[in-house]
Amino acid sequence: MSNRFVEKGLRAPVNLTWEVTVGCNLRCRHCLSSSTTPAADELSTQEALALVDQLHDNGVFQVNFGGGEPFMRHDFLTIVDACHAKGIMTCISTNGTLLTADLVQRLARNRLVAIQVSLDGAEQATCEEIRGAGTFAAAIAALKLLAASTIPSSINTVLTAGNAAEIPALYELAQSLGVSLRVSRFRPSGRGADNWEALRPDPSQLLAFSEWLASSGDVRTGDSFFSLTSQQRQGLGLNLCGAAKLTCCVGPTGKVYPCAFMQSDRFEAGDLRVSTFKEIWDNATMFKSLRQLRIHSCEDCRRFDQCHGGCPAVAYHLKNDLEGGDPECLERCVTAIVDDGMKASAA
Amino acid sequence: MAAAGVQLHPACRVRQEEFGLLFYDSRGPRLLFAETGTMLPAEFFAVARGKRELPEGLAEREQEKLEKFVNLLLEKDFLREQPLC
Repeated sequence: MSNRFVEKGLRAPVNLTWEVTVGCNLRCRHCLSSSTTPAADELSTQEALALVDQLHDNGVFQVNFGGGEPFMRHDFLTIVDACHAKGIMTCISTNGTLLTADLVQRLARNRLVAIQVSLDGAEQATCEEIRGAGTFAAAIAALKLLAASTIPSSINTVLTAGNAAEIPALYELAQSLGVSLRVSRFRPSGRGADNWEALRPDPSQLLAFSEWLASSGDVRTGDSFFSLTSQQRQGLGLNLCGAAKLTCCVGPTGKVYPCAFMQSDRFEAGDLRVSTFKEIWDNATMFKSLRQLRIHSCEDCRRFDQCHGGCPAVAYHLKNDLEGGDPECLERCVTAIVDDGMKASAA
Repeated sequence: MAAAGVQLHPACRVRQEEFGLLFYDSRGPRLLFAETGTMLPAEFFAVARGKRELPEGLAEREQEKLEKFVNLLLEKDFLREQPLC
């Protein structure tokens, strides 16, 4: 896909992440938003429903609900129903602990919903090292309920140093359960920043994952691994960062950000309690600057057309440099391994 | 037998942008940017249509282009065949 269609700014995002609450019943070590208890000033039901109206009026195709644990919100189904009533497709990211047979049956009444259940290892111990005790069995139980329903469902795994070797087994587990596998990129935001060094996959793990992905076309990665996408997966996803161009993120209190990994004051594009969604999308200085962002330092790279500099959020969190290019792209992983090899042979 | 028509796939959406039509497929997700300008309104895909049914008042060349485009959408699974009742 070329930048030329999106650099001027689309009339609305194609999809957006809506973190409906920061409340969560788990304390995962890689949580991008450091979820704990709900914020005091989260959007009210009325405010949330007004936002759904705005998203529909602006032509947003899909809302990806996350948090926090979205099912912690007492009015979450009301918000989801309102999206569906407007024809907006939804995808819910959940830890699965609150999913019951009744709830799945209720959600399955509408064909516009998809659900991702977080599972961070094919082995119980690997998963629970990151997500806490009891999470493996709860997620598997939720996935079984979903697999028996009509809801398109998937395992969502964040690739970490601890589970990298288990990704093929997770794929087999997903197949045995009758769901798909989606692998997301671990980024150093929220609690993920605190645990970055312990959990980050090393360059050889990232390379091995990239090679495995090349032969696993039915594994979904969203846009999170375009920086690692091999030639074999061209056309299966985006080849550039979609933040502020194709997507954005609404936080629990109505603040709007370029993406879920950029939820800080530095990247705040606006506040839905002050401005309309349209005003923020069209006019926010933060969004305009990201639409014009060019990673010139990567332009000579042979892979530039495949990633356009990769993920600015990772570049910012690791190097405090939005224009520096993704420090963990495929090309830099190869370089890092070669450099390490040369150091080892020189020693 | 009912005549064959085409309709937007239930997993897909379309909207008007400055350059033309933007198609979204939630199954990927994947996008299709179509530089159709204002030749074909997004609402055209809201209901099942005959395969060769196009907006009226188009020049022959535009019609040919749009017919090819509708076939491309079918090929790429943004549209699906639907009996016209």
